[in-house]
Amino acid sequence: MDINLNDLLRRYRSHPFEDYFVETPHTGVVFFKVKEGQTVKGPGGEWLHRPGTLLYVIERERNVKRMTALWSGQISGIRLDIEGQFVEAGEPLFSIRHQLDKEEIIDRILTQVLYIFSAPQRARYFLTPEISARMEKQFKQGVSVELGEDVLIMSLMKRDTMISYEGVPGSLYKVYFNSGDMVEQGSPLLGICSPDKLQYVQKVIHRIRTEWEK
Amino acid sequence: MGKERVLIANRGEIALRIIQACKDLGLDYVVLYTKEDEFSLHVRIAQQEESGFKKAYRIANYKDPNEIFSVADEAGCTSIHPGYGFFSENYVFARRATLRNRPLTFIGPNWEVIRDLGSKINTKRLAKGLKVPVIPGSDGPIYNELEAEEVAEELFFLQKEKGIHHPSILVKASAGGGGMGIEEVSHLDAFRRTYRRIQNYAKRQFGDEGVLIEQCLIDYQHLEVQLLCSSHGEVVHFGTRNCTIQSTGRQKRVEVAPGFDPAVCEYPFDARAVLDRIVKYSVRLAKHVGYDNIGTWEWIVSRDGSPYLMEVNARIQVENEISACISRLNGSNEPLSLIRDQIRVALGDRLGFSQKDISFEGTSIEMRIVAEDTKRGFAPWCGTITRFDYPDECWARLYSHVPRDIPYKIPTEYDPNFALAIIWGQDTQQAKERARQFQKGTVIEGKGAKDEDIVTNMDYLYDRIDDVLQF
Amino acid sequence: MRIDQIHMADSGRLLSQLADRISYLIDIKGNSEYGNIGSLLGQIQRLRQSLFEIKESDLFEEIDRIEDRISFLEDRVAEKLSPAEIVNIVRSPQRFTLMDILENVYDSYTELGGEGECNIDPAIVVARATISRRVKNRLYSHQVMVIGHEKGQGEEYRNGGCARPWGNNKALKYMRVAETEGIPIHFYIFTPGSYPIEDYPGAAQQIARNLYVMAKLKVPMVSFISEGGSGGAEAIGASGLRLMGSRGYYSVISPEGAAAIEGKIREGEKLPRKLLEHCAAQLKITAEDNLRLGTIDRIIGEPPLGARRDDFPFFRRLRYEMLRATDELVLKTKNFRAFRAYALKRQAEEGKDVPEDFDLFIGWSLTDLERERLLEFRFKKYIELGKGYFIENKNILTQGIRKTKVFASKTYYDIRYGLLRPHHRNVQKVIEEVSGEGSVFLRKVTEPVRAAYDFVFPQPERPSKVIRSGEPERKSIFAEEWDPYVSPLANEDCTVTCPNAAKYGCLDLWVPDLYGEFCGVCPNCGHHFPLEYQWYLENLFDKNSVREFNAHIASCNPLGFQGYSARLQKDIKHTGRNSSIITFEAEVWGIRLVVAMLFSNFRGGTVGVAEGEKFVRACDVASTTRRPLLAYIHSTGGIRIHEGTLGVVQMPKCTFGVREYNDNGGLYIVVYDNNSYAGPVASFLGCSLYQFGIRSSRIGFAGPRVIRETTGQDVPTDYHSAKNALKRGHIQGIWDRREFKKNLYDALMTLGGPNLYYK
Repeated sequence: MDINLNDLLRRYRSHPFEDYFVETPHTGVVFFKVKEGQTVKGPGGEWLHRPGTLLYVIERERNVKRMTALWSGQISGIRLDIEGQFVEAGEPLFSIRHQLDKEEIIDRILTQVLYIFSAPQRARYFLTPEISARMEKQFKQGVSVELGEDVLIMSLMKRDTMISYEGVPGSLYKVYFNSGDMVEQGSPLLGICSPDKLQYVQKVIHRIRTEWEK
Repeated sequence: MGKERVLIANRGEIALRIIQACKDLGLDYVVLYTKEDEFSLHVRIAQQEESGFKKAYRIANYKDPNEIFSVADEAGCTSIHPGYGFFSENYVFARRATLRNRPLTFIGPNWEVIRDLGSKINTKRLAKGLKVPVIPGSDGPIYNELEAEEVAEELFFLQKEKGIHHPSILVKASAGGGGMGIEEVSHLDAFRRTYRRIQNYAKRQFGDEGVLIEQCLIDYQHLEVQLLCSSHGEVVHFGTRNCTIQSTGRQKRVEVAPGFDPAVCEYPFDARAVLDRIVKYSVRLAKHVGYDNIGTWEWIVSRDGSPYLMEVNARIQVENEISACISRLNGSNEPLSLIRDQIRVALGDRLGFSQKDISFEGTSIEMRIVAEDTKRGFAPWCGTITRFDYPDECWARLYSHVPRDIPYKIPTEYDPNFALAIIWGQDTQQAKERARQFQKGTVIEGKGAKDEDIVTNMDYLYDRIDDVLQF
Repeated sequence: MRIDQIHMADSGRLLSQLADRISYLIDIKGNSEYGNIGSLLGQIQRLRQSLFEIKESDLFEEIDRIEDRISFLEDRVAEKLSPAEIVNIVRSPQRFTLMDILENVYDSYTELGGEGECNIDPAIVVARATISRRVKNRLYSHQVMVIGHEKGQGEEYRNGGCARPWGNNKALKYMRVAETEGIPIHFYIFTPGSYPIEDYPGAAQQIARNLYVMAKLKVPMVSFISEGGSGGAEAIGASGLRLMGSRGYYSVISPEGAAAIEGKIREGEKLPRKLLEHCAAQLKITAEDNLRLGTIDRIIGEPPLGARRDDFPFFRRLRYEMLRATDELVLKTKNFRAFRAYALKRQAEEGKDVPEDFDLFIGWSLTDLERERLLEFRFKKYIELGKGYFIENKNILTQGIRKTKVFASKTYYDIRYGLLRPHHRNVQKVIEEVSGEGSVFLRKVTEPVRAAYDFVFPQPERPSKVIRSGEPERKSIFAEEWDPYVSPLANEDCTVTCPNAAKYGCLDLWVPDLYGEFCGVCPNCGHHFPLEYQWYLENLFDKNSVREFNAHIASCNPLGFQGYSARLQKDIKHTGRNSSIITFEAEVWGIRLVVAMLFSNFRGGTVGVAEGEKFVRACDVASTTRRPLLAYIHSTGGIRIHEGTLGVVQMPKCTFGVREYNDNGGLYIVVYDNNSYAGPVASFLGCSLYQFGIRSSRIGFAGPRVIRETTGQDVPTDYHSAKNALKRGHIQGIWDRREFKKNLYDALMTLGGPNLYYK
């Protein structure tokens, strides 16, 4: 499976953005803390422990929650008409145009290089406790997964189903979801790199690293 | 102002039935929905209905009490109907509704009753005190593996003593309910594995890893007693139901009222006497705890005719309608609605009738139509329902949140239950025949994600009709 | 020509000496503006460059002039040295270090456990050394263990004398070696503070362990303080005699740290010089101050501007003083009369020059009995530290009654446990041996004996298994059986967000639920929200079993720290308590125990003299009444800086108290909640053999800010979490608040043994 790296790079270079739409997580009264066109910062610090720019506050049941930016970028399409109003859950507020950096480009391109294990159903997914324990211990070396090994728990219609791994054996290169997230059918869950491909993947990364700057 | 406005904190067919009950009583109502349920019928009805206020609110999650109270305040609601599942038996929720600065009437028993009966352990203790029989097992939730094993061992031993050939025990999540998180263990060696699995499940699903262990009664009938009480101390019952027919994981699929029918089956015990006993016990317990709303007392009757109290469901149940179907108030054929009565008593009304005004007539069967693969461990099926037709008969009623005019995608977040069919017959024989007839006339079509045809439990239900009220 | 060159070289040396003196002055003053020293340095620079162009006589004239000027300035500076300037002296690179002492005070030495950079921790130097004295023209030498900080001469690897946890561990190891070999230990303290990292064995925990061992180390120990930075100093400082250089400083916190706290200076902002000076003065860090407060025993005179690396007369004095101090410790254990005579003579010599000769040789080895006495003296010395710097009830009558009561109870318990116990044990042993035969015959014989015996010594009340199985109501979730105490925090109709919501998807919590039934614990992720200390008083102990004692002991302002008295009064009024520690007797399901509870509302739960005293007295009560001792730390922010080194010495003091209690057979359990940092953790808490953390608590030596400022590295947000403390082996377990009582009960039962007491 060869990919046209040049094409991909060109495409990302011409449009190195990703638009993130910010919605209310739940009902409540919203007050905006940013302006149209303002540049906001995402979380920072070595462990991403410093929260990003304050975007808006939402008050529900006398609890004022400060919502901070998860991505850096520029605010657009801000819905000033709902300022100070009660809004329902999932109400769009504005979008953040995020400029992709090198690592993010690499991540995106890698999804086309790695073996992607995607969601068989639209459901909530969890890593099995064994896998997450291994991840915690030895993420740097990479966690290897075997064929037929139980890697995920799919929580669907209040039932838990074990999902065993099918595909090329290799090491777990990337996990594309947060434990307990609702994942659409066909969305990537795990990115696996087979041992024979490892070199190729590293080459791709290296190439993007060197070429992206230009 | 002054008019009651009910917030319906639930989804699916129960939301529809509560809407109907509110309309019957002339009350305002407001519904909630999540993104997944956007096209559900209860939302459509609420949105389409003409009224001077917003009737449907989108929330993040049915399970987040903050969302419910937030909307209740915004929409100016005065009471909350929790339906079944979700917050129906959550005393913390009921307490918050009652005690907050802007109180809301919780349509259900008062929170102290829910708390005391909501715990199977406490119910067991209360029952023992009132000389009501209960199933042998652990006295409280177990958090310790060694302790659990000890209890398991003792239960196996006791069963062998009694001469039971294939003893087995049940391991349940103490915080669970509705048949979730229960497994049977028939060998002590396999216990530890099961225990751990259930413990993990409980921790993830309910946040409490307490586990209950009790004797697994095999060859028994699962009976229920439907009670309605008011805050004025009145207690009446609407007879018994039989819910023995269950899928794996102890999910009910076919229910029937009354609990036994000596006309169709020869029971190895005096069926009428047993029914009387469980009703009597249930009423005794209800009176003792000051029960003040609708509730169901669940019983197990073993082949020797001895009943054991299992638990109390301090809420309206899915199958409440079949009890209503066989009950006659002052001999009239006017259909009863238990949900309506539930709302009435929660708002402080008296019952307006007493036990002697209630008589029973015929047999009623409920079938839960579920998109599941009965041949593959009742695995849920997901996809889109494109056609759903059923016969229109005066002896049948069908409740469903599935719209009949547009394709409906089954949300993966919730139970794949999508319809309830309720059949009434002059006697058990007729009810069974009508149930089959209804099934034959029902057409369900749909397509899954890979363009495969819909899988439902219709055939399974058809097969199980024979088993109704057999022992 | 050659002579000229020598002269020139000479003048070069002179010039560089002068330059050193000037830069020393600049070091002391912290700037080059004072007396225009900066320009003097410029002049020297110019002279150096034009060494060969100036006429020799002019050159020397110029040098003389500059030297006069420098001497004049030096005298002026020495006349009134401010505390901040003393700190600068101590930190000057020209000050003597431990290596200079090893070279000049001792005859020979062998470094142990590492050499230079090749070392587990180059900031701590350990050496076996010989120190000698002349008696009537004969040379006698002693073997000693020398342990101290080495600041180094600018070497990065010395870490400025900040000992890492394993460095202190090394020190401890060689203290034990000295104990085995029976040789005295000389400690040299040159540290701005311990390196605040938590890696095993942990900064705080290791200091605590050192203190715990030093409390009963059976060899004479003398320490010398040049730079005594709080906890770091204590790690090797709890000796029998504490000497201090006259230009040293000994402080609870660096003046910078104090200024940042007092001035509420934000991280990264510059400290105003004025504030710094003010704080240094307020902290009472000089040798004179410390001697007056009793936190050190003696001052060793240094030159007016402090001893430098080549100050040989000072090293001679230091050698003399170290010998004398060790002699004194030894003599005191041998014979009081001899010691008196010696001490009197020494007193007469005070202020005189160091004599060339000693008039007698004193051997430094001790007999068993003498070792016991040595420990006794050390214990007494530390237990008395800070006496008089807290307020006791002035009412003489009540004091008298209290004394009588204490005496009476002491006598009662002494008789009950002291006299009867050994006998009790013997009887029991005999019976066990007899009935151990297992014969029915013997059983018959012993049964009446046992019955009679049980009557005399009723078994300690302990719930038997039967009672314990009836325990469900204790774990019950039902309100009737719940304690009526509900946190006042619960009286608000609002919700709060769990800090772990993003990670675990916790829903917002309704405050009345959270602080009521949920005990302040998020039911989803188990995060513990802080609760006020009263909650624990009400819910952790049996109803009406809490009996407070020593509530009258109050904190005061011993240093006259500006503004501290007012703040104390405010807290006293606000909390209705006199100090940040509550000591009381209480019961946990019938088990009686003594509890010391540090709580956050009073000056952040910091420990000062009153707190230390109350803690030691609690140890004493627990010891005499033979009860387990629980230190429940609701929160502690460390040693109270406003009480200076009087606060610091509470570290060894309380540790000595605990050690005595443990050695008497007591069971000491520490439970940390919320935030526990610094001094107390590095002493009487960290030394406990059984430490537990409440979930979501933080335990550590220094907070994240201090770590960032000292190590220059950021730490993860969960660096001090109980979970990490458990991983590092600092604590033995994490307890859920909702099961605190049960866990405590179980711990008392399992750790305390059948009699709730080790022995």
